[in-house]
Amino acid sequence: MDTLKVRDAQEVEDAVRAAIAGEQPLEIIGHGTKRRVGQPMATNAVLELSALNAVTAYEPNELIITVQAGAPVADVLSLIDSKNQQFAFEPMNTSLLLGTVETEGTIGGMIAAGLAGPRRIKSGGARDHLLGAHAVSGFGESFKAGGKVVKNVTGYDLCKLLAGSWGTLAVMTEVTLKVTPRPESERTLLLRGLDDVTANKAMTQAVGSPYDVSGAAHLPGSALRTTGGALAELAQPDQALTLLRLEGITSSASHRAQSLREALKSFGATELIEDEASAALWRAVRDVEPFAASGPRALWPVWRIVCPPASGGAFGQALQRESGGEVIYDWGGGLIWAALPPAADAQAKALRQRVAAIDGHASLIRGSDEVRAGIDVFHPQPRGLAALGQRVKNSFDPRNVLNRGRLSRGQPA
Amino acid sequence: MTILMPEPDQAVLARRDEIVASLRKIVPGEGVISSAAEMKPYESDGLMAYRQPPMVVVLPDTTKQVSEVLRYCHKNGIKVVPRGSGTSLSGGALPLADGVLLGLGKFKRIREIDFDNRAVVVEPGVTNLAISQAVDHAGFYYAPDPSSQIACSIGGNIAENSGGVHCLKYGMTTNNVLGCEIVLMTGEILRIGGKAAECAGYDLMGVITGSEGLLGVITEVTVRILRKPETARALMVGFTDVEAAGRCVADVISAGIIPGGMEMMDRPAIHAAEAFVHAGYPLDVEALLIIELDGPQVEVDELITRVEAIALGCGSTTCQISTSEQERLLFWSGRKAAFPAVGRISPDYLCMDGTIPRAQLPLVLRRMTQMSEKYGLRVANVFHAGDGNLHPLILYDANKPGEQDRAEAFGADILRLCVEVGGVLTGEHGVGIEKRDLMPEMFSDIDLNQQQRLKCAFDSEGLLNPGKVFPTLHRCAELGRMHVHGGKLPFPDIPRF
Repeated sequence: MDTLKVRDAQEVEDAVRAAIAGEQPLEIIGHGTKRRVGQPMATNAVLELSALNAVTAYEPNELIITVQAGAPVADVLSLIDSKNQQFAFEPMNTSLLLGTVETEGTIGGMIAAGLAGPRRIKSGGARDHLLGAHAVSGFGESFKAGGKVVKNVTGYDLCKLLAGSWGTLAVMTEVTLKVTPRPESERTLLLRGLDDVTANKAMTQAVGSPYDVSGAAHLPGSALRTTGGALAELAQPDQALTLLRLEGITSSASHRAQSLREALKSFGATELIEDEASAALWRAVRDVEPFAASGPRALWPVWRIVCPPASGGAFGQALQRESGGEVIYDWGGGLIWAALPPAADAQAKALRQRVAAIDGHASLIRGSDEVRAGIDVFHPQPRGLAALGQRVKNSFDPRNVLNRGRLSRGQPA
Repeated sequence: MTILMPEPDQAVLARRDEIVASLRKIVPGEGVISSAAEMKPYESDGLMAYRQPPMVVVLPDTTKQVSEVLRYCHKNGIKVVPRGSGTSLSGGALPLADGVLLGLGKFKRIREIDFDNRAVVVEPGVTNLAISQAVDHAGFYYAPDPSSQIACSIGGNIAENSGGVHCLKYGMTTNNVLGCEIVLMTGEILRIGGKAAECAGYDLMGVITGSEGLLGVITEVTVRILRKPETARALMVGFTDVEAAGRCVADVISAGIIPGGMEMMDRPAIHAAEAFVHAGYPLDVEALLIIELDGPQVEVDELITRVEAIALGCGSTTCQISTSEQERLLFWSGRKAAFPAVGRISPDYLCMDGTIPRAQLPLVLRRMTQMSEKYGLRVANVFHAGDGNLHPLILYDANKPGEQDRAEAFGADILRLCVEVGGVLTGEHGVGIEKRDLMPEMFSDIDLNQQQRLKCAFDSEGLLNPGKVFPTLHRCAELGRMHVHGGKLPFPDIPRF
């Protein structure tokens, strides 16, 4: 397999044009941390963007940063952290879950995967923070989308399509992202021993309160049995943890934690966890530590289920009972990570039927090559929407040279 | 003030009676309007300098009717312009002489309020404010708040990705919409997203939002609602020079504070507003900032103190802090009434809308003053300082020969300047016809072609709202052509491993 390590946008353009001319589709990677997410691809050349790793501009006062797509996420996070800023969507680090080398990958991969962490309930996803992009389409043409300011409605918002498109529409070469001030402090309220449905009610009440909750997660005891790290330190045998996060200036976070504690009294006694200890908990939730690839569930496929948040608890409870699997809940119940006992189809059929009933959708984020080749990794869409999605794909990449086959089965190989 | 629109199709115009009759079969009763007098109110939207009677107005009240109207028009090659409340300021709903004007004003129901999922399902004709009012009793609201929120429809908000004072902290429409039912030009009805935070597949909701009615007709929307903050207080801070005010905005943000709203007015706007509403604005300052902090009482009280200190550090000459809800609203009253206030001091004005990086504000204001002298026209400025979204109001008199043309040329220069300093042509009003021909200032042909290819994925015949947003109409087939230089070695000059 050829690996083409491009150095600039022009070389990306050349590579895509050559791919079109030679009818040789390309797999697009940064550090390759998410290569095994999606359908196995029909590509035999890799376009690697890790050398496009410069920070083009960082304007803390403008709340924006412009970086090349291959810039390491860790470096960019540490740069903005030095100015007390962050990506509010709290990008997930997939290395623990997928068992890849411990890198957080590149900015391009972060946007292309669009996997937001716990703060999504308050601050939105990667899509909401991508202000502009330079990218090379499957026509082999460099184009610009969006701009470099936080408020912009000039033309179609193509950035929204690029975020979460898994590299199938265009090769991003440079992106402009919104950054936000890092909260001065954080507090986590901890409730113990709630069943999933009750925990879902507590989270619904908390997120719907005026106390500006920025994280609402529930970890059933079964999922905590095998985990390590910050969660293990808190966990007691088979006892569930429900976590609610409050962030902001110190006086406010403390005050709101107290008010929320009062409001949730009927759900039981609460413990308060502050600052660093709290941050460690939310990193564990964000990165789905209970299902880490190095743990006892390494061989279990892991699904990412997105659903209306108030339906999460009942759904997850039934799923565990009937699949024999384990789940953890984020986004107040709106995001469920499910590790299911191995099966030839990763229990896709049964899971999808169930999730369709609550207007949710499920994607397989961790699974063997064989399993991923045999099922729809991303949630199949109704015919009309799927056809529109295909026309959108064609409008960017008519020869299907970019990450061919990654999003759906049945695309021409 | 002439703007070219697509040449009317004479064959379609010749069939007008037959088309009207066919549409009446789909939408019976008063749902089809075809007399010149009755169509008059639909001749323009909020950009009233441009007027064009449509061929016919259709006001369906079910998704099925919308679908059938579109299917009929698609089959017969008839253009369609969707319209909500008609408050667009960029001509997005300007009719076409040979087109059907499809009004969604009858879609007025709030279909579902789901507090547990913090979602409301509404029809597109519901006004922005009505959503907040419907959930107010439970302490919730819908955050995006365009100034026209009392009148503008949520469908129109989605078409334009409208903003407002709250955008800085709570995002624009696109950040607050979860899903929709959309009818494509072929009549096909699709549902995108729902009450879940993300939809499966490409983010089609994201690209439909702000697409100015060119991709499809929205017949239902699911929006996210938020719990209302405990309290809000505002500061009114005056500066004797604009640069100090600009510095104050930057310092507030770099201190890690994102206010619920941060608005600036320049001297002409302050004077006009004060004369109109008597809000107690200082008249001896060059710039006035209104900064609102919202959240829990304890947080707001502390941040008010911090912001006051920052303002003093930047050389503010006056600083008032609201001590009651009444006073907070009084501070805002002048800003909210700035447009009509300016309307009282000039027979006509053009309201521009561009965004710039905040740091460029002093330069942009200086250059605008120079342009004001060059064109011999006054300009008053109100803007969303927190996110760099400017609204220069160019004052002119349409009855004086040449003034309107000069005002438009002045406006175009301002928008070019916005792009030149790293900003964009529009922050919240949309491109429409108003800024259509300026699009090449910001985008290359390749950029625009890519956008138009996307249009083709939704509307292959280009029948939905043509003549808007894009300065050149392309046929989809010609946009699909691929220019590949054959015979090249694969991947020349790229290091291999």
